[in-house]
Amino acid sequence: MIHFENVFLRYDTGISLRDLNFTVEKDEFLYLYGDSGSGKSSILKMIYMDLFPNSGTVKVLDFDSNHIKRRDIAHIRQQIGMLFQNFYLLSDRDIYSNIALPLEIQGEKADVVRRKVTLKADELGLRSRLSHYPHELSTGEQQRVALARATVNSPAILLADEPIAHLDPTAAAEIVKYLWKINEAGTCVIFATHNDNLLKNDPARTLTIISGEVVGDRIS
Amino acid sequence: MKLSYVIREGIIGIKRSRMPFMNSVFSVTIALLIVGLGVLAVDNSLEFIGEFQADYDLEIFLENEATLFQKNELAAIVKDYPGILRMDYLSKEDAAALYNAEFGEDVLSLLDDNPLPSSFRITFEDDHRSADYILSFIHSMEELNGVDEVIFKQDLFKRVQGIMKLIYTVATITLFIIILSTVFLTANNLRLMILARYEFIETVRLLGASDFMVKAPFFLEGGILGFLGTSLSVFLIVMAEYSIKYFVHFDLPIKILDHPEVILGMILFGVSLSSLGVLKAVRKMLRFVA
Repeated sequence: MIHFENVFLRYDTGISLRDLNFTVEKDEFLYLYGDSGSGKSSILKMIYMDLFPNSGTVKVLDFDSNHIKRRDIAHIRQQIGMLFQNFYLLSDRDIYSNIALPLEIQGEKADVVRRKVTLKADELGLRSRLSHYPHELSTGEQQRVALARATVNSPAILLADEPIAHLDPTAAAEIVKYLWKINEAGTCVIFATHNDNLLKNDPARTLTIISGEVVGDRIS
Repeated sequence: MKLSYVIREGIIGIKRSRMPFMNSVFSVTIALLIVGLGVLAVDNSLEFIGEFQADYDLEIFLENEATLFQKNELAAIVKDYPGILRMDYLSKEDAAALYNAEFGEDVLSLLDDNPLPSSFRITFEDDHRSADYILSFIHSMEELNGVDEVIFKQDLFKRVQGIMKLIYTVATITLFIIILSTVFLTANNLRLMILARYEFIETVRLLGASDFMVKAPFFLEGGILGFLGTSLSVFLIVMAEYSIKYFVHFDLPIKILDHPEVILGMILFGVSLSSLGVLKAVRKMLRFVA
């Protein structure tokens, strides 16, 4: 599903990622573990084709970073859900509109959008919050909205970049639980984190990254 | 991509960024108001100055002895001459009637016979109305049988033409500069409007919107913005024309409402300016978002 082959990424300030070689299978739950600045976010960015390797190849779904056209990037992203630590919710839209956005972008009919959004809101306990705006919600609720939006169209891959970094333990546990749930339902989850406890409590395959290099690939 | 998405996002976009949107509408209004008033002022000035010119450019007086055949032949030659817009024949009787109307005296009662000659009054097309061209026409006319004299007020003609040319040149340069500055000002305003929507553009790109899907609602917004801005500027120009008529008691010879093609041109210009301006701003922003 995702394949990195001899991937190097250089920033103007120096090399960021070096010689990455790994494959992530469909249905897999993978941690990208490392400190801030180790290169976890860059790997995620290469998966959703925001960054391209200077050498090597990144293959995602049926697309290859060396041959992908700009218009195909939109197709890839429609099959990838993304969860960030700063949520990326649209502050001027209510929760319903925020969750509905990926479906509308994909051209779903209004009644399908309504059904899927309501279902997802129920699943994540957001039903009563649909008419609220992001600033009216707690941080945990905002992340649940972001999670609802990232998964409302049943993506093949879910990328989570430090999604629980700003959350209290209860809210964090809820998010992690849900990520495991959707993984069991068939979505490939890639979870970037620097949280040791998470790896101990919910073990899964872990790529340890130090200074842009994969130094470990094992079950945590 | 669904059209309903584009329309809905376009309208939502306007609602959610009312202030920057209205700023941009007014910027288009001001731009086109300046351009429209400028064009109107120039057209009216040229029309006003043009009134100093006679209704015709020159007059060919015929010999009293000219036969009907000669007159017809002469009329055919003049008609076929390139650049002739109008040719009016004035018979001796018409000339007497004109004299009477102008001086209040009947020439036939003063003299036994009508001494006034028959003539052709000639008006040239605008692109042939130059002193050199008219002089060459006069030379060829003077050689023809039956022509007595050709009268052409060259000095007045040249002066009026000179003034008109000067106004036209100055106005063209000035309008060009104004249009250029208004395009820049409007483009800047539109850029600010789009900048305020960075969050939206970045998010929808991450969620899988193609460039076209990002641009389309903004293109629509730009079109609506341009249409509103231009309509407002046309309305203000019409109000200005009415104000001049009712407060200054001067009826402009050329008014914008008499020229729907100018209104259409302004609307097309306004709509293109803002929709393309918006598109350019979005395209520029897309280079920086994920």
